[in-house]
Amino acid sequence: MKYKDYYAILGIGRDASADDIKKAYRKLARKYHPDVSKEPNAEEKFKEMAEAYETLKDPEKRAAYDQLGRYTPGQDFQPPPDWGQQFAGARTAFDDIDFADLFAGLAGRHAAGARGARAFTSGRDYEAVVRLTFDQAFHGTEIELDLSVLEFDENGTPRRAPRRIKVRIPKGVTDGQQLRIPGKGGKGVNGGRDGDLYLDIAVESHPLYRVSGQDLYLDLPLAPWEAVLGTTVRLPTPAGAVSLKVPPGTRASQQLRLSGRGLSRPDGAAGNLYAIVQIVVPSAIDERQRALYRQLAETSNFNPRAHLEQEAVHEH
Amino acid sequence: MNIETFEALRIDEHGEIGWTQLIELSGLAEAELRELVEDGALVPVDPQSAQWSFHAYSVVVARTAGRLRRDLDLDAHALAVVLRFVARIEELEAELRALRAGVATSR
Repeated sequence: MKYKDYYAILGIGRDASADDIKKAYRKLARKYHPDVSKEPNAEEKFKEMAEAYETLKDPEKRAAYDQLGRYTPGQDFQPPPDWGQQFAGARTAFDDIDFADLFAGLAGRHAAGARGARAFTSGRDYEAVVRLTFDQAFHGTEIELDLSVLEFDENGTPRRAPRRIKVRIPKGVTDGQQLRIPGKGGKGVNGGRDGDLYLDIAVESHPLYRVSGQDLYLDLPLAPWEAVLGTTVRLPTPAGAVSLKVPPGTRASQQLRLSGRGLSRPDGAAGNLYAIVQIVVPSAIDERQRALYRQLAETSNFNPRAHLEQEAVHEH
Repeated sequence: MNIETFEALRIDEHGEIGWTQLIELSGLAEAELRELVEDGALVPVDPQSAQWSFHAYSVVVARTAGRLRRDLDLDAHALAVVLRFVARIEELEAELRALRAGVATSR
């Protein structure tokens, strides 16, 4: 088990008062709370400080923490021999739990004592981050999750149990979305309902498609003559390539819609894919092409700046 | 080894959820959740109905409320204000994503 210095995490001394602890936590929470912070690693930092606060704000847990002694953060350590006797129901081995679990057990005993041994408690909700590729999110996928589940025995002593489950992710999930697996969080105690497992979905960005809600956007570069004359192009979509008809006179930034080619919605329909027209010009042309462009310039009476010229006349 | 397979559900999979289920999923006490309804942070589908039901996305709002309440020690009124800010940030982020997605990248 790795030691954590809860006082250092909150930036306070070992003699800090309950009020100092609260103030330090609130100050850091304002900065790092994942719902409001854009700091890098905010979520990780916040979890660490919430864990520290959870222990130090409770006098019983703080006393148990202080009795562990002082070590370097991250150093491997075992609680002193008499610590288990005093705080963990005569437990002597702690290999199967995490550092924070040492104190979670105390809360369990305290709650059972306060509400009576038969009081039921709901299991905790768990959260896990699931990283998906764009294709996995688009088509749906099945993933394996390795969880470390905190359980309590009949004496309220905590232990970590490994659990591996397979999870089917529905198609069309988006970055930042949350999915729920009912009953797969912590076990309820004395008939309390089991907690749920929440999955925070993170989807890798794709080199071609940009996502907005259930719609997808893709850049479609066209040569000037393709935009003027119209053409048919082969266009990739996540569900397979399609032919897209580009009408004559297509303008730059125009969005050509491919209906139902976006991400699936829960109701079975799907968003759209929009091809955004870009008109690109060749970086180098030969003499013959230059002559043709000159000929076009001389023949055409198209004036793309007519509206600007009108404005300039008004100003005089 | 035979590993059990489970379906991950979209929170907004089902159109509406009931009051009891919302309490259960939010991790908040019924009185706290009721204050959020009174402050307008959670809006029942039909506020006049004797049995409230909510759009399924309310679970996300209620869970955020539970988290903020616990982590920041907020009272119900402050919680309702913060939730409004969080909702506004989410709206603006979605708008920004749509704008970014809809503009061709430079080549």
